[in-house]
Amino acid sequence: MIKLIQNEWMKIFKRTGTYVMIGLLLFVLIVMGGFIKYQDSKGSVPDNSEWKKGLQVQNESYQKELTEMGDAIPQEVKISYEREIAINKYRIENDLSPNEEYTVWGFLTDTSQMIEFAGLFTIIIAAGIVASEFNWGTIKLLLIRPIKRGKILAAKYLTVLLFGLFMLFILFAFSSILGMVLFGFPNDPVPYLNYYNGTVTEQSMLLHLINYFGLKSINMIMLATMAFMISAAFRNSSLAIGLSLFLMFMGGQLTRLIAIKYEWAKYILFANTDLLQYFEGAPMVKGMTLGFSVTMIIVYFLLFQAIAFYVFKKRDVAA
Amino acid sequence: MDTLVEIQNVTKTIKGRTIIDSLSFNVNKGEVFGFLGPNGAGKTTTIRMIVGLIGMTSGDIKILGHSIKTEFEQAIKHVGGIVENPEMYKFMSGYQNLVHYARMSQGITKEKIAETVEFVGLTDRIHDKVKTYSLGMRQRLGLAQCLLHDPKILILDEPTNGLDPAGIREIRDHVRKLAREKDMAVIVSSHLLSEMEMMCDRIGIIQQGKLIDVQLMTDFVQGNEKIYEIEVEGKEAASRIVKDMYPDSRVQLTENGIALPLKKEKVPEVIKRLVNQDIQIYGVKEVAKTLEDRFLEVTSQKGGLIHD
Ligand SMILES: Nc1ncnc2c1ncn2[C@@H]1O[C@H](COP(=O)(O)OP(=O)(O)OP(=O)(O)O)[C@@H](O)[C@H]1O
Ligand SMILES: [Mg+2]
Repeated sequence: MIKLIQNEWMKIFKRTGTYVMIGLLLFVLIVMGGFIKYQDSKGSVPDNSEWKKGLQVQNESYQKELTEMGDAIPQEVKISYEREIAINKYRIENDLSPNEEYTVWGFLTDTSQMIEFAGLFTIIIAAGIVASEFNWGTIKLLLIRPIKRGKILAAKYLTVLLFGLFMLFILFAFSSILGMVLFGFPNDPVPYLNYYNGTVTEQSMLLHLINYFGLKSINMIMLATMAFMISAAFRNSSLAIGLSLFLMFMGGQLTRLIAIKYEWAKYILFANTDLLQYFEGAPMVKGMTLGFSVTMIIVYFLLFQAIAFYVFKKRDVAA
Repeated sequence: MDTLVEIQNVTKTIKGRTIIDSLSFNVNKGEVFGFLGPNGAGKTTTIRMIVGLIGMTSGDIKILGHSIKTEFEQAIKHVGGIVENPEMYKFMSGYQNLVHYARMSQGITKEKIAETVEFVGLTDRIHDKVKTYSLGMRQRLGLAQCLLHDPKILILDEPTNGLDPAGIREIRDHVRKLAREKDMAVIVSSHLLSEMEMMCDRIGIIQQGKLIDVQLMTDFVQGNEKIYEIEVEGKEAASRIVKDMYPDSRVQLTENGIALPLKKEKVPEVIKRLVNQDIQIYGVKEVAKTLEDRFLEVTSQKGGLIHD
């Protein structure tokens, strides 16, 4: 198995395209860093000693809106207000100024948005890893080895996951280094304030970021798995890339739209891939729970894999 | 003689069309089996079934006694093959391609790779990217790829496709050498008859998915009939007379007379009849029958196709 993964890895990294992708990722990070640094140096953090008062005012206005609007307020807005209020209160009580200096942590939080970018490249790899063999005609030589088709496909899927991890690692590592060089490390460790189930807790920033990266990548893994399935079942990388990217950018929105009218939207994959909704916001459809979403994700995952393996193992190879 | 490959009554139907129809033949150790047929006859399809790339609708294929359907790994590990063109990863070097395939079989050493590269004569260019290779070099790399794991059975689908005469000759020499020295069973498909003539020990002719003849090469070319050309005055009349005698025979008009396949003992009979009918005979000579003639003959008789 390791040899098969080695093979797949070699085939990915012998292509120029892969380096272009990595280069693009690094380039975007550098541009982001430079941009933030440039803005940052213009006005340093306002040393507002009145911050407690400011938060108080903010809380009052939130509270007022909540009571005035009553039931008319959307669930999501309500939860985000409640969250803001709770965190602001916690800050006032524990003397934690929101005016932190922008450091590597801030930069990492900003660059974590780039997970989508890393995800995009992983999808491209996933979409090509089976379909390309058909396009190149090399599938004929690949499948006449004393190795079962299922094992070859499994090696390919594992390679996709490894590649995704590798992209995340590059993102995380390069952002950390870049962030530390450009913005430095904070003098006192700043905790991350986590709001969950109505209570605020302090969390180490590193732990929070790792969590955040982990939860965010679920979406990416699912999309890559879907691209992989299309690639293996339909042998068409353009279809796999096109559909996956479309759903990556539009899937969430579409599901949200459907969710407004229909409750069954909660069975759509994209209602469930963002597990952050349970920690930092409101679930897309009322009544959805973390357990439900995890179950849905697993069901979809198994479905994708079952289709991919079933079709790939049965298929006549006449490329 | 050891039978290494057994094709047992194999049928393949795609979308209601029978592409391969109850095909059966065996290939033995140390022999080169030629798989001959016109375009679209089903050669590639049969080869795909032998190596398990496509399934069969019915029948079975056994390699050293292992069914390719139920014991795929056991069966395929004895097989090295090229199906149609030897497509390689163009963005990698020839050597990296070989390493790739070497990793997929057990116990292939670096020395073995080097030895194989040497054998196919690609040592100079093996570290160049495959996209810089000529067609001939790709064929060599394809051959190297199937020899890495010392297979007992070698399957080559039109290995000389697009090669120049020197290239063809080289492949032919390799094939003969592998069968003789390594005792491999080699299956070579082709529609180039002249090439089969020099390469194969036995030949199977396939047409429209049916195996219509399997013969030893020597028997095949000779057959038990030869073609005789009879130089005559009034060839149309002569041809009519002969057709009366042998309605099934393929009589052709040539420049100076007629030509027809005949058994030797029938020659006097034909001459006698022609003379009796007042046909002037200037000469009778035996024309060496080529594989090409035989091929057309066999395919037109049994496949019901009309030639000429
Ligand atoms: N996947 C497929 N679907 C439908 N028909 C097919 C398929 N593959 C092959 N055929 C048909 O099967 C027949 C045999 O094709 P095959 O490629 O085996 O011929 P061949 O003997 O290798 O010919 P050639 O000398 O041209 O390579 C052809 O009529 C072809 O149209
Ligand atoms: Mg063919």
